[in-house]
Order: sequence, then C-alpha cells, then structure tokens
Amino acid sequence: MGLEEILSDVDGKTIMRCMSCGICTGSCPSARVKKEFNPRRILHRVYFGEDIGDEIWYCANCYTCQERCPERIKITDIMNLLKRMYLRDKGYLNFIKAVEENLKNFGYTAQLNEFKNKTRERIGLPRLKSSSEIKLILERANENGQA
Amino acid sequence: MGKHKFAYYAGCTSAIRIPSYDLSTRNVLNALDIELEDITSLGCCGMYEEQINEMAHLTLAARIMAIAEGLGLDILVICNGCFLSLKKAKLRLADDGLKAKVNEILADFDLEYKGKSEVKHYVQFLYEDYGLEKIKEKIAKPLSLRVAAHYGCHLLKPSEVTGFDDFEEPQSLDKLIEVTGATSIDYMEKKLCCGGYLLGFDSEKTYEMAAIKLRSVKNARADLLVTICPFCNLVYDHNQRLIEAKFNEKFSIPVLHYPQLLGIALGLDFKALGIDQNRVRVNPEIFNSDL
Repeated sequence: MGLEEILSDVDGKTIMRCMSCGICTGSCPSARVKKEFNPRRILHRVYFGEDIGDEIWYCANCYTCQERCPERIKITDIMNLLKRMYLRDKGYLNFIKAVEENLKNFGYTAQLNEFKNKTRERIGLPRLKSSSEIKLILERANENGQA
Repeated sequence: MGKHKFAYYAGCTSAIRIPSYDLSTRNVLNALDIELEDITSLGCCGMYEEQINEMAHLTLAARIMAIAEGLGLDILVICNGCFLSLKKAKLRLADDGLKAKVNEILADFDLEYKGKSEVKHYVQFLYEDYGLEKIKEKIAKPLSLRVAAHYGCHLLKPSEVTGFDDFEEPQSLDKLIEVTGATSIDYMEKKLCCGGYLLGFDSEKTYEMAAIKLRSVKNARADLLVTICPFCNLVYDHNQRLIEAKFNEKFSIPVLHYPQLLGIALGLDFKALGIDQNRVRVNPEIFNSDL
C-alpha cells in the first residue's frame, strides 16, 4: 500500500503528524470489541508502507479518533481512503457488492420492492420510485476514477 | 419570520427499512407547522460510496443538493448518514476543480450544483432555529419518563464538517427530550457508536457493541432509549431481541425515534407515529404522567 498515494491525498498527508499517543486506539469502539483492530498500529503500518489487510473494515466510521486526535490527523478519513484503495486493489467484498447492486437496481442502498411500498402505503406514506439515474452516475463516476 | 419550508429528504434506510421514522418525522414536523416538499424518491445520498468511490459519493450528494437548489429550498434530513454525506460533499465541492468534475456528470441529467442550499438535520433545526420555547408552547401531554439519549455519530462528528453542538458534551437532543417534560438521564455509554457500519462485514461485533450500550441504558434505569438516526434505531430496536438471545440477557428497552417521543407529547396518536411498527414493545401506559 503506497505511502506516496496517502501523502498525495488532502486528508492522507496529515498522517505525518502522528506522535504515537494512542488516543485513537483508546477511544475506538471497534477496538473494544475486536482487539486486533488497532488504529494507531494501522497508521504506523501505513507509514512504513506495509500492507493493510481485511481488518480495515472494522473501522465503524464513528470519527471519535479523528475528533480526539491532538494533532488533528484525519484518521477516519484516512481509514476511508484505505478502504477505497483496498477495494480498488483487492476487489469488492461481498457486502460492498450487495450495496452496489441495490444502488444500481433501485437507486437506494436497500432493496425497494412492492412489499416495502405496500408497507409505506398502509401506514400512510407515499410510494417510492426506483431511480435509474443513480446507476448512470455510478458508471460515469467509475470512468472518472477517484476525485 | 415566515413559515419554515424545506426540501424533505428521508434517505434510503428511513424510507425503506424504517418507515416508522419517515412517518413520525413528517407528522411531527407537520404538527409544528413546518412545510415539506418531499424529495425522498430521488434515491441515495452517496454516504456509502465514501468508502468505495469518492467521485460517486460527491456526485450523488451534489445531485440531491442541486435538485433542492432548483426548488429554491434548504434540505432537511432525518438520517445522520445523509447529514454527514451532504455536509461533507458541500465542503469538498467548495473546490472549483472538483465542482467542475461533478457538474460535468450532472450535466447529463440537466443539473448543476452551485452550493446554494443549506443542509440541516431536523434536530439542529428544532434546536437552533425553531426553538425550544416554541415547541414547549405546543406540548399537550407532558411526559414524566427517564429517557436515554443516543446522538449517534454523524450529527456531531467530525465537528469540522458538522459544525453542530459538541461531541464531548452534547446538549441539543437532551434539551429536546426535556422539553417534553421527560428527564434526559446521564449514562456511562452515552457516546458509544451503534456499530452499524460493521453489520455487513462482521455483524457479531455490531451486536457486541450494541450490547454494551443496551446494558448501560438498562443499568441507568432508563424507561426508553431515543435515537435520531435510522441506522442506530435498526441496531437497537430491530436487533434487540437477537442481541438478547446471543448474550442470554434481557434488556426489554423500548427504542423510540425522537419524533415518536415528541409526537406523543404533542398529543399525536400512536398510529400517526408508527409506534405499532416498533420491534420492542412500547407499553402505552408509560406515557401517562399521572402514574
């Protein structure tokens, strides 16, 4: 995993400020339930150009680490960058594929079917339509690559 | 001040998986005399794409905002995920180069993002703009309950994007709960994330995280837990029975969307608030303040 790529990113470059205090790991809700997930260690491994494995997906995207980092490192934004690099280099995980399929078929992250629309109607909500624009936008965005 | 009017955007999870949240929010905002132009049928806000493809995130978010701009309205969201997705895209699209790239795609759909519409979560709107006093005037049935507030993550964090309240010492939701007459209690794990993001990858860890929360809420002797994000609600309400079975523990904590709580205090009936849709049973008697 290229340190150069991380450093060329607007959020990624903040990784250089790490002074190893560990408040990220100490504040991390995922680390409480999954000892192998250690944000400070992930930052170090990125810094030393080491490969980041599946454990990156234990980041719950809660932003507590980023909020508390005394050096204002964009830790959660870096985790999202690492997730994007992971998917690009190693392929999509099954749960990501499922979300992409829903977005392409329905325009929503969840499945929109007649049952769901009937439930909405029954409780007094308007029906939803599937949006095909989302699929077209995803295709165009994929041609464009990352921002 | 004239009547408040917004482009109302419920997002995927509230609209499809937790329609009781969509319903109760609409009916409560309606009771507060806030006018809504519904744009929920537009589809996804792009939140999930942030971890997949950044260009897709920014373009999907810009699309929603461009359509609200076309209506000449600010956007009112009810999901913490939509809130962060749109607010973050708005901040990033202040960069003209990036904005041009996004608009090149949006041009295919005759849309242009300019950045004119504001994005607000209804909690922010009620707390900062509508005002506690004005809500208080409309309370028809004051409650006397012990309520545990759960803010979730993306209403407050990252603060440089959300620009609202204070993650370490939040007050907005607590005050909105107290305006109903209820007591917003302090509890150990108030700031703990719901773990919803891990559901797809390793749901066991979501349940473990949620159990820590529910245990803490129970120990604090709360009558109920209040959420303001459909994903947090999905974890604590829809999955509560499953979590109880996994850890062989009984929580039995009703989980209400904030508009359900406020709606009861405003005098709306259970049906208009979708309370029959809640998974953990809500005993109507707990709302009788004369008990």
